Amino acid sequence: MLRQFCWMLMVMVVMHRCADFAELLSAELLPAELLPAETPVDQAIDHYIQLQLDTKQKQPAAMADESTLIRRTTLDLAGRIATLSEAQAYVAATETDKRSKLIERLMASPDFAFHFRNSLEGLLSDGQRNSPGDWREYLLKAIREHRPWDQMFREMMTGNEEDVAIKPALTFLRSRARDLDQLTNDTSSLFFGVNVSCAKCHDHPLVDDWKQEHYFGMSSFFQRIYLTKTNLVAEKFSGEVKYKTTKGEEKLARIMFLTGAVVEPPVVAKTPEQIKEENDAVHQQTQDDKAGPPPKPDFSPRAKLVELALQADQNHFFARNAVNRIWALYFGRGLVHPLDQMHSENPASHPELLDWLSRDLVAHQYDLQRLIRGIVSSQAYGRSSVWDSAGDPPGPEQFGLALVRPLSSRQYSLSLRLASLNPETMTATSSPEWVNRRDEFERNSDDLANQFEVPGENFQISVDEALLFNNSARMWDEFVRDDGGMLIGSLKQKADQSAQIETAFWAILGRAAQPVERSACEDFLTQKAANPVLGLRQFVWSLLASPELRFNH
Amino acid sequence: MARNDIPNRNLSQHDVSRRGFLGSAALAGAASFAANMRVLDALQTPTLAAELKRQQKSVILLWLAGGASQLETWDPKPGRITGGPFRAISTDIPSVQISELLPKMAQRMKTTAIIRSLNTRNGDHGGGTTLMETGRAKEAAVDYPDLGALIARELGRADSQVPDYVSLYSETEGRHKGGAGFLGARYAPMFLSDSMIPPNIRRLDSISETDHTDRAAFQRLLAKQFQDRHPRSVVSSHGMAYERVRGLMSSETLFDVSQEPQSARDFYGPTQFQEQCLIARRLVEAGVPFVKVARAWWDSHGQNFETHRELCADLDQGMSALLDDLGQRGLLENTLVLTFGEFGRTPQINPSLGRDHFANAWSASLSGCGIKGGAVYGKTDADGHTVVEGEAKAGDLFATIFSAVGIDPTKEYQVGARPIPIVDFGCKAIPEILA
Repeated sequence: MLRQFCWMLMVMVVMHRCADFAELLSAELLPAELLPAETPVDQAIDHYIQLQLDTKQKQPAAMADESTLIRRTTLDLAGRIATLSEAQAYVAATETDKRSKLIERLMASPDFAFHFRNSLEGLLSDGQRNSPGDWREYLLKAIREHRPWDQMFREMMTGNEEDVAIKPALTFLRSRARDLDQLTNDTSSLFFGVNVSCAKCHDHPLVDDWKQEHYFGMSSFFQRIYLTKTNLVAEKFSGEVKYKTTKGEEKLARIMFLTGAVVEPPVVAKTPEQIKEENDAVHQQTQDDKAGPPPKPDFSPRAKLVELALQADQNHFFARNAVNRIWALYFGRGLVHPLDQMHSENPASHPELLDWLSRDLVAHQYDLQRLIRGIVSSQAYGRSSVWDSAGDPPGPEQFGLALVRPLSSRQYSLSLRLASLNPETMTATSSPEWVNRRDEFERNSDDLANQFEVPGENFQISVDEALLFNNSARMWDEFVRDDGGMLIGSLKQKADQSAQIETAFWAILGRAAQPVERSACEDFLTQKAANPVLGLRQFVWSLLASPELRFNH
Repeated sequence: MARNDIPNRNLSQHDVSRRGFLGSAALAGAASFAANMRVLDALQTPTLAAELKRQQKSVILLWLAGGASQLETWDPKPGRITGGPFRAISTDIPSVQISELLPKMAQRMKTTAIIRSLNTRNGDHGGGTTLMETGRAKEAAVDYPDLGALIARELGRADSQVPDYVSLYSETEGRHKGGAGFLGARYAPMFLSDSMIPPNIRRLDSISETDHTDRAAFQRLLAKQFQDRHPRSVVSSHGMAYERVRGLMSSETLFDVSQEPQSARDFYGPTQFQEQCLIARRLVEAGVPFVKVARAWWDSHGQNFETHRELCADLDQGMSALLDDLGQRGLLENTLVLTFGEFGRTPQINPSLGRDHFANAWSASLSGCGIKGGAVYGKTDADGHTVVEGEAKAGDLFATIFSAVGIDPTKEYQVGARPIPIVDFGCKAIPEILA
């Protein structure tokens, strides 16, 4: 009898703990263990990275050399390679604070907003290309205004269709409104770092955190969304998600956030006439393109999602995901990896660092640019990607050796264009007119950018790209054209081969040629002396087609 | 390109590098493989041909874009109200009859099996295409590769000098590109959508052969410096892609039907589809693991019977010529030829004398490699409304395809945190049509 009682008690305790498991799990770590909040972001990063390297007795790589550092920083902040003038000036400069000055210049430049916009666009469209122009404009404006990330989230989830400035933010919902699964998965993954799709058909087989309840709980925030005949995002007055468990039991989903927090819809007594009126109004919206603005129900599950997700005791998913995704943009890998697997079976490589950065982000009103500045200022960001020490390099999760990352399609397209131009026409990147030129480059880069693979999990260079470079008229006739405005035109004017080689290397690869390379280039150009312009074109082509330009190293 | 420029990496222990083979044949023939395909003459040598046959399996998918009617092809219902005006005819397999619109194929059922019991439930062009291209329903979180990418991955060679996956368009529709999904761009199709020549495969007139080669060699030399500093990284795929260029450029000749004697061209016939069948044979002969030839537009919501009379004639001629030609060259035992589209057509005939989309009871055919010729799997009811025996899903068809060409249908890929089986859950190969 006593044994049975103890057994029951134990079972009850276990069940109680399981029920609270998700909540326990998602509780904030005590801040007492973290570095003080006043610590500069870059110092906090370096502290925690170094701490782990010391613990694992691993040496990081040396710092990247200066040409590499300005190239990487310019690509990551401005979305393009550094021009010849920019690169040479940086390497020659003697001020001790030149690196922080570089970062300030780049973050204040018009390039920053264009590139960060492209990065966010890529993130939120999950690799799809060519999103609507007004959506791109919305993102650009928000970045230029330093709009906080939580505000952008609010606008994307619950923006007012009647507000012309905010309406494009609803593109996130609008493009997914017809597919509840996609909307649920994408929101959960992109804003909270959680891919719950595995939990749709059964409780997650490996991860205790994620049950069907969580999947359908998240889905319930979106289930009432519909598109009107005029393609506006609107919400119905009622609706629930039903699902079947693996045991065949049919269940009604509760509106539940990833933390386990449940939202109870208010119980409002409605007469059958009222219900009919509401349903008719919604139905009319889907049929009639002259119906007027859609009705707004008093209870909006998606508004509740925003409220809950940003609440002080619930916002760790939102904050940690933002930190993780921004971190991955600059390091090529998240603190939690993969980026959509934030759960207890997949802890961060540097849990205290993730906590510290999340706390910092929340304390500074979700200012992403502050986080970015801190990241690119850190020593960790500035490490070389070349390992030439004895022994094995640190693993990628140690952030002791920079990862080689493919350029995004736009970065590559823009960089190819810049690299192919006469460097003397590219000296005014700090002038007020540069914003127009950069805007023009952006618009003209779309077409070429579409030819390149979008970087993703299993990125490879496709043979189509190699064939494009080798045989397309565009690459040959456009990029290596013999014309005063082009690099070729500039090289033709140079007095000797040595000057030609130096200029080409700086313009395209952002560095001086190595002696071995220099002699190979001299040999090549000499061989082509019968037709020197052709020789120059082939020489420049070979540099443009190099892997060194293709990747961010 | 000199022979010692050709890299010889990724040799698996169990198979001999095909190029290594042809390399020695090429030395014998005093011509480098990459420069021209004359080395195919080596296939005339019995021992080499036999060895190659043993190794390289290929799949040719004759994609019936728009959804062909099973009642006018593989599962006729003569005399029934749903049967339409066409009769059924006997075939070279005693118990089997097919539509009179495929008289030539009726004499070639010895190498062909039919599945009559597909129930794929999705009668929407988009959804049905995704389902029949990838073997499973679209899923929000996973980017599934299509059949061509899967076959390219499983049967292709890493250092192949021919494309792994070629997709030939059709004049009207059937231009859906498909994709390699999570397998990566390496396995994306070489997609011919506007012309019979793949894009960017031909050297520009403004550059000579020597200059093209010199330039490539110089690029490779400079690239090597960078690659050596970054071993074990994503950089290597760059070099690999560029290495394949010369080989792929020389495979342009595979697409050139004028390389074939007129007798061969006449054997297949003059229509675009029939020419593309001939090109498909040339491609698999050169070791391309997957070729898709799309024929459109079977979506006969009106004038179903006239449409099928015309399209079936084209299919019948092209497909039977292809099977005969592959057979004569000893390639059929290693080549799997498939026909299906995104769905079938309704047994009910609509007021425009058409048949509409129908995915509840339709057919596919499989011929050649690994197939039990003459087998018919599954039955539909007398009028063709439902499957009464042997219901098969898209995944079952895919599992059967994989088994036929020697790929383990239970294989899994690891995609991030998730194991993804190559065949959809709960689906299995159909042993009754496998040899």
